[in-house]
Amino acid sequence: MRDGPNQRERTAIGIPLVTGPARRPRPHVIEQVGGPGSPRRIELQDDRLVIGREGDIAIASPQLSRTHLCLTRNGSDFSCLDMDSKNGVYLNGIRIHSAVLREGDQLQLGDVVLLYFAGA
Amino acid sequence: MALFVKFWGTRGSIPTPGPSTQRYGGNTACVEIRSEGALFICDGGTGLRELGIDLIRRHEGRPIVGHMLFSHPHWDHIQGFPFFTPAYRPENTFHIYGTPPGDRRLFQLVSGQMRSDYFPVDFGDLSARIVAEDLSDQPIGGVAVRALPQRHPGGSFAFSFESQGRKVVYATDNELDELLPDREASLRNPDALRRLPDELVDFVKGADLLVADGQYDEEEYATKIGWGHPRATTTVDLAVAAGVRQLAITHHDPMQSDADVDAKIEACAARAKRFAPELIVFGAREGVELKIA
Repeated sequence: MRDGPNQRERTAIGIPLVTGPARRPRPHVIEQVGGPGSPRRIELQDDRLVIGREGDIAIASPQLSRTHLCLTRNGSDFSCLDMDSKNGVYLNGIRIHSAVLREGDQLQLGDVVLLYFAGA
Repeated sequence: MALFVKFWGTRGSIPTPGPSTQRYGGNTACVEIRSEGALFICDGGTGLRELGIDLIRRHEGRPIVGHMLFSHPHWDHIQGFPFFTPAYRPENTFHIYGTPPGDRRLFQLVSGQMRSDYFPVDFGDLSARIVAEDLSDQPIGGVAVRALPQRHPGGSFAFSFESQGRKVVYATDNELDELLPDREASLRNPDALRRLPDELVDFVKGADLLVADGQYDEEEYATKIGWGHPRATTTVDLAVAAGVRQLAITHHDPMQSDADVDAKIEACAARAKRFAPELIVFGAREGVELKIA
């Protein structure tokens, strides 16, 4: 059978597809739920961003290092890296150096508490 | 000098990809331990594939020298090796350590899984320099590495890594419950602290981080006695006896979802709180890296 103009709108067995409006991708999100400036919602649009007193996401907490945590996109995931901060990075209560983030993860940087929600 | 420990595979027995295991991960045993002077790879389960990709990215064409220590050659500890891309590059060197000295069975089994019956690329076609070695008393890149035999069908080894006062122990596939003087009593009264052999406790003693097998919860173990893995709570008791600072429970059972692992770890943390309140217990999770400094 030759491809007709409406071929892409039909299934393999020829049943017409019911299509709705195009779905917009859900962004990866960090929610700040503790510390100065909270509550706050940050959509992770860039492939790399730094959180700290003077980072891309600046939080005015004396418990944060100037550059404290780096978030990096790897494919569909985001990873976090402790940038040799003074007070460390705690993932769900455990001090880590780096991690691939998962839905609902809690990051604690001094008195700053962040929640991560994966995009889709 | 810090030791960096990264989990690339924390599942036991068989890979378990899927939404229910996404957080702790579905890849089988592989842990990277890195010092300033050396790269150690503990076990080559399916997590080794991801580690290989990352090593190539990190090294940007510079030669990679790695020291590979396999706890034992069961599938979930060697299966990632044929997919370890740095082994296909001529600039790289990997040392595969056998225990006891002179024993090349492990090397033969790791390489033998690439026979054409099992895999399309022969071990001899790998471009990297891959050398069978004995583990000796000489430090490797400034890190003292020791091995201890464990209780597991066919045998297995734990490894300790010590450098400038920092100590990490990797001890998976060890049925600790089989080593208890009275296992039956510990099953009847699971709340009591379990006593483990002095030799094992001494080997682990003072570790900043113990990465250890805790495959089963109490209920699961009852039907899997003799399969080579402990109750996670018995692993806690080893950490308590050895004065460990942090315990990462690994080799999660393939039937355990993330929620099941959470429940297992919660029970372990509660037990640690009773016997050693300073002990930190957590579930080893793929993609997490710790700095032991």
